[in-house]
Amino acid sequence: MSSLFGSLAIATGALGADQGAMDATTNNVANANTPGYSRLVPVLVQSDPVVIGNVTYGEGVVLQQLRSVRDPILQLRIENETQQQGQLNTVVSAMQQAQVQFTSSSSDIGSEISNLFSSLNQLSTDPTNASLRQSVLAAAGNLSTVFNNTSNALSQQRTNLDLNVSQTVQQVNTLSAQIAGLNTKISQLEGVGQDASAFEDQRDVAIGQLSNLIGVSTIQSDNSLTLTTGNGSPLVVGGQSFNLSTQSNASGFQDVYSQGQDITSKLTSGELGGLVQVRDQTIPGVISNLDTLASGLANAMNAANAKGFDLYGNPGGNIFVPPSGTGQGYAATMAVAITDPSLIAASSDGTQGSNGNIAVLTAVENQNVAGGQTPTDYYSNIVANVGNDVANATAELSSTQLALNQLQDQLGSVSGVSLDEEAANMVQYQRAYDAAANVVTTINDMIYTAINMSTLTV
Amino acid sequence: MSSIRVNPFPMPDLLAAVEQLQRQQSNATLELATGSSINKPSDNPEGAAQLVKLSDLSSQLDSFQHSVSAISGQFSTADATLSSVVTVLQRAITLGTEGANGTLSDADRQAIVVELTGIQSQLLSLANTSYQGQYIFSGTSTTQPFVLDPTQTSGVRYTGNSGINDVTIGAGYQLQVNVPGSQVFNGAADTFLAINNLITSMESNTGIGTAVTNVGNALTYISGQQAFYGNAINQTQSQQTYLSAQSVGLAQQQNTIGAADLTAVASQLALDQTSQTAALEAIGKMPQTSLFDYLK
Repeated sequence: MSSLFGSLAIATGALGADQGAMDATTNNVANANTPGYSRLVPVLVQSDPVVIGNVTYGEGVVLQQLRSVRDPILQLRIENETQQQGQLNTVVSAMQQAQVQFTSSSSDIGSEISNLFSSLNQLSTDPTNASLRQSVLAAAGNLSTVFNNTSNALSQQRTNLDLNVSQTVQQVNTLSAQIAGLNTKISQLEGVGQDASAFEDQRDVAIGQLSNLIGVSTIQSDNSLTLTTGNGSPLVVGGQSFNLSTQSNASGFQDVYSQGQDITSKLTSGELGGLVQVRDQTIPGVISNLDTLASGLANAMNAANAKGFDLYGNPGGNIFVPPSGTGQGYAATMAVAITDPSLIAASSDGTQGSNGNIAVLTAVENQNVAGGQTPTDYYSNIVANVGNDVANATAELSSTQLALNQLQDQLGSVSGVSLDEEAANMVQYQRAYDAAANVVTTINDMIYTAINMSTLTV
Repeated sequence: MSSIRVNPFPMPDLLAAVEQLQRQQSNATLELATGSSINKPSDNPEGAAQLVKLSDLSSQLDSFQHSVSAISGQFSTADATLSSVVTVLQRAITLGTEGANGTLSDADRQAIVVELTGIQSQLLSLANTSYQGQYIFSGTSTTQPFVLDPTQTSGVRYTGNSGINDVTIGAGYQLQVNVPGSQVFNGAADTFLAINNLITSMESNTGIGTAVTNVGNALTYISGQQAFYGNAINQTQSQQTYLSAQSVGLAQQQNTIGAADLTAVASQLALDQTSQTAALEAIGKMPQTSLFDYLK
């Protein structure tokens, strides 16, 4: 439509488009530091032209939408790495606490094992000496105590991790509900063709937080989003969220349930995965190794003592309270069975001055008492295993963090707000606005001229 | 915008780098402070396991060394005691030889008998020597090994036993630490019988020569028994030397595995500090301005 009023409409349209574009810039600048914010870009398109006769007239500009710039694939990879990171972080921090028990010191299990056999060696030089006998008992007591303390500290840690499981499940539920709410808002807005990017950003942040807590799979359809745990239990389906729950199991720890199904063992990533892994596998493994060592050692010492005679000439009894059949839980309860140092069976023939059975007792140091290994070798393996657990998880964690940093860097380069860019855009839109406004003035003049044409002719 | 955008927020990356450097520095400082590169098992799991075994070995060596010192005292006492026995027996032989001389009067021989009786009780006391409350020549019995008993032909009865104790003074190295009194004094040649016979012969002035010969045999036999303790002392001494050398070797091994390479750690620490300063400076010098500041 080639008329002055048509041109005026085009110019005012341009003013509106530039204002809208400026709005995107303003919003970008305002949210430059908002976590999860994806920058907006104005999508300007030409209006459909009008053809009159042989001439095609442009109809100006339309601000089609303010599009937020995001990369769903990158977002998904970040979520995956975040799940890894959540799991590894939990494992590392829990196992770092656990390995304190196995840090070399003058009173660790290894040293106390050595001390017990050293004290027996000393006794062999003077088998009737009461104070040497007393130090053997003391060494046996110290060994029991350090086993008790180590095992109890590890159990205590399991209890603490268990508490975290319940808390984490609650956080998962809160986030699921939040995401379901956002899903509803997004589909409502998109249903009526409106832009929901603000809510999408919020949802991305929430999914990121959720990924840190639990392994999730994201299934995105047109305008709804489904989140499931790694094994397919639903967390969020569109506008509905499904709560996880916890229930005490036989050993008093909280199992995680989804829709009445126990999914504890299927949780492998996110904080929850890490917590469950350390609580149910890693630490129980270490405790069970300690039980094997403590019970193997106690049985062997008792058997060796039974081969000799005590100071009263009687056959030797138990030095340690004997472990139950499998020895399960023995490290926590290990204790010395005797208080009378005379009951150590040093003698091999019943005479008081004989030290013949001490060689049998000290030989336990080189006996395969636990898992086909000597006490010290077995203990050194426990130390190596705990150390490896921490070292491996730490190495994985730092590579995951590196990957995550890079991905976030990439995401930042796609979605992040650059103030320079926004300043440049601002100038650009301002100039365009100025120009359009000038066009309006000019057309206004022209219309004025046209209106006043009749008075000129009259 | 066709060119690839740059992440406008490099801060998290930079902070992660600084954090990493700080972690390295705190590790390095710990290594320098403790002088050990393994301060927790995860620092070097295999090394930590090795150290557990080495520390057990080193504790064993210590206890062997303790045992060696403990039994050395007993050996010295026994050795000295048997030396005294030998001296006493030599005196008995001298007296016996004098008594065998036919020119002596009964009174002279009676004087010799008195001295020989003194020697007899001296021998008894030597045979009952104890070390730190334990009789040396009682076998593994804890009662006084030799008691006077007129019903015995030797006048002395052995109440100890024939038990022998071994003490471990090295991996798989057991050393016998005692010889039962029955073997030392009543073995192939019975010391107390020889002295008792000499006294009887001296009193009756018959067969003194044979009795002296028997005391001589007893002396030779006791000297042979003394050699056991001499050998044992030599063995403990050489074992002591061996154990000390072992300790040194073990300490070196522990060092190789667990000691921090101070030079390397210190220079790494310096490097990390420089890097951190550089990173912080980079953060500090990041443009505080944007295009906004230049508009107008």
